Amino acid sequence: MTLLVSLVVATIFGSGCYLLLKGDLFRVVAGTVLISNAAVLTLIAAGFTRGAAPIRPFPQGSQVSDPLVQALALTALIIGFGVTALLLTVAFRVYASSRTVDLDQLSRMEASREDELEETED
Amino acid sequence: MEPQTRTEPDERAPFVVSDSAARRRDGAGAEAGPLGPFPPAAALAATLAALAFAAILYAWLRGGGSIDLPWAPTLGLRLHFRLDALGALYALLATGIGAAVFLYSGRYLRLHLASDGRPARDERSFYAFMLLFAVSMVGLATAQDLLLLFVFWDLTAIASYFLIGFDRHETASWSGALMALLVTGITAVALLVGSVILFVAHGTFSLPEIIAHARPGTTLTVAAALIAVAGLAKSAQVPFHFWLPNAMVAPTPVSAYLHSAAMVAAGVLLIGRTYPLLAQSQLVLDGMLVVGLASMLTGGLIALTRERLKQVLAYSTVAQYGYMVALYGLGGAAGAVGGAFFVAAHALAKSALFMVSGAVTQASDGEERLGRLGGRWRTMPIVAVAGALAAAALAGLPLTVGFFKDELLFKAALKRGPLVTALVAAGPVLTLAYIGRFWGRIFLGRPRQAPTGPGSPPATLVAPIAVLALLSLAFGLWIAPLESLAGAVGSVSLAGKPAGISLAYYLDARATNLIALGVYALGGLLLATYRHWLPVAQGFARVALRFGPERAYVSSLRQANRLSSALHRVEVRDLRRRVAWVLVPCGVLVAAGLLATPTVGQYAIGKLGVGDAPLAILLALAAAAALAATVPRSQLVLVLVLSASGYSLAAVFALFGAPDVALVAVLVETLFALLFVAVFSLLPDDVLRREQSLSVSHSRRWRDPLVGVVSGFFALAVVWGTLSSPVPSDRRVAERLIDLAPAAHGKDVVTAILSDFRALDTLAEVTVLVIALAGVAGALTRRRSR
Repeated sequence: MTLLVSLVVATIFGSGCYLLLKGDLFRVVAGTVLISNAAVLTLIAAGFTRGAAPIRPFPQGSQVSDPLVQALALTALIIGFGVTALLLTVAFRVYASSRTVDLDQLSRMEASREDELEETED
Repeated sequence: MEPQTRTEPDERAPFVVSDSAARRRDGAGAEAGPLGPFPPAAALAATLAALAFAAILYAWLRGGGSIDLPWAPTLGLRLHFRLDALGALYALLATGIGAAVFLYSGRYLRLHLASDGRPARDERSFYAFMLLFAVSMVGLATAQDLLLLFVFWDLTAIASYFLIGFDRHETASWSGALMALLVTGITAVALLVGSVILFVAHGTFSLPEIIAHARPGTTLTVAAALIAVAGLAKSAQVPFHFWLPNAMVAPTPVSAYLHSAAMVAAGVLLIGRTYPLLAQSQLVLDGMLVVGLASMLTGGLIALTRERLKQVLAYSTVAQYGYMVALYGLGGAAGAVGGAFFVAAHALAKSALFMVSGAVTQASDGEERLGRLGGRWRTMPIVAVAGALAAAALAGLPLTVGFFKDELLFKAALKRGPLVTALVAAGPVLTLAYIGRFWGRIFLGRPRQAPTGPGSPPATLVAPIAVLALLSLAFGLWIAPLESLAGAVGSVSLAGKPAGISLAYYLDARATNLIALGVYALGGLLLATYRHWLPVAQGFARVALRFGPERAYVSSLRQANRLSSALHRVEVRDLRRRVAWVLVPCGVLVAAGLLATPTVGQYAIGKLGVGDAPLAILLALAAAAALAATVPRSQLVLVLVLSASGYSLAAVFALFGAPDVALVAVLVETLFALLFVAVFSLLPDDVLRREQSLSVSHSRRWRDPLVGVVSGFFALAVVWGTLSSPVPSDRRVAERLIDLAPAAHGKDVVTAILSDFRALDTLAEVTVLVIALAGVAGALTRRRSR
């Protein structure tokens, strides 16, 4: 089980990193979603015990799942959601102002705008 | 932003009203006509300063007092102020000179703003920062805690930045302001480091306690030297002096206040306040003596050669504070009392002289070169007389307060032998010469150029000058009040020992009188034969300015700028490279952590029973979906695959016995999917199609998957290692939380943790979420309003 979970975390994390390097801004956002998912899965799997839900009354004779990691995972999920929503909106704003979400094109535009600025300063 | 190089300020002095501004001045002056009512802001500020002056004087005469409030008790920090003699002297100077300067600013600033074509409301920020400065000075003067001292120290620097850069449309103005801020701000760190060293050694930031416990030694010497460096830089001493002449871009009232009685005085105030510590190290005292003498001679010689009024006064300030630092360096009762006395005497005279220069410039249509003035006593006799008194006080002539400052200087120097005495006496000789030249070339002789402008300054510009000049004279005739105050200040600096210095005129052939006579004779000679000396002094000034520390400042600032632009270029231009700059060092750190952790035999495969089959299938599904997300070119497919992975994980959480997490995950995944689809639906089809058909460059086609695989392996190594080594059961927090949950009236332990045990964390989390969603809402609304 340990190995299986680790492999799954590694696959999700690796896919996220790959997406993060893509040229399309929305894929970068998708990459952060996957990385965040990998983190939440790691947290849940890091619980010391696995069993029934930690809700009273507990079923007789069975183990209760570690509630602490669940609380941490909830926090991570919510924060991840907020951050990704913001990222997605920012990506959309970038598109609205420059009509592209291609990173290469964006950095080219940025560079030329900066050169213009420096020229006007001189 | 390039710092201005001004090796020869006389040729390109930036603070002068430029020709075009001078021309505007004509028009503005003609329109303004009679000046209108006195600006209420200036009246208010002057009243406040005068009231504060009266309150401080009253409190001091009633025996002082102290305020001691806890600030951060766990750190041993206290808001501890005490109105002792030292505090009283500087607080009285800050408020008294402040009141005079505010009175002077009323008219001056209106004229100044009008000549620059700026609205009168710009004066508000001026008075606000001047008052902030005054308050900071009073706080600095009375603070008894090193950290508190540091806070006020930096507050004065910040206020000074805005005041020097008041003419914000002039490049030179803010480059001068930045220079003052950087030089005094960076050296302020030395004060902080010194304070922390003392804190580590004595366990407190409280100065009286540190002074009571400090014993000579290397630690104390290092801390004292660091504190002295901060003080010397603030007092514009060699080699930090260059910020002061460059700060002359400030409007004249700022210079009359900050650069004669307040900002520069703060340095000597710090030295006086920490003197019981500094004086325990002969090395620090000797260093101060050398720096003081060097500043005295450098400032005096360069002041002889300057053409612009305020430049003469700025270098004179460097030289005069050199006297004070030298006095403290000479040490003993004469030194400690002399330093304090000198501050007061100099502040009165120098403030008046700065105001003289402002009044003359205002009345002469912006002219402020000595070579083009002259014969002004005819048009402004009161200013001429007041200026003469102030100049006499600065030069140390008898019957003025300045006589005693020089007497104390000679008295302290005589104890160190003839060589030091001779060097120290050279300072007043130069002072007599440059200040004589300054006054003579403004007021005597014939006008070297036909005077333009209104000719005589308005009364509210003249009155403060007259008051300060008369005070210089009055204290020269009736020395008792200043003598007793300076004596008390000296005993604060000597850690409570009475100073026992008495001041009076003695008409006999004692050594100090003889030196004074010699100084007058030599100074007069220097002034009379001035033309023959000028090339020598000019040569010195040229060398000092060309190879001086200002050059190092300018070039290091330029280097820093270059470095910053280079970094900016690398960082901003490419998001991917920026991500790499974060990820690669992280990866290296993780790899180092893995190598450093013993992992042999640590990896456990774990049990996987038949009952775990659904869990295993769901996990495999989540992984497969994540992997699949890397493939599709269509955005919609990407979103669907992403959701598949997320929902599978939600089911995994449910099987892990975490229904709360599972429910939230389902909710979050649904919102994600909707949000993605919503954003894609807002984008035009052609953009989506264009993004789908983007070609991937050849190098990236191999590099990106490789990076993904490598980071996947890292994640595997770290996560597997972590999950394989659980902590023994007796150290688990979870069990304690489960037991405590009923006390929080919660059946669901996770809910109890979130809303009770870790409620503050949850509050912060909610705050983050609200901020993020406010950002989302803001970004989307702005689009709609376009």
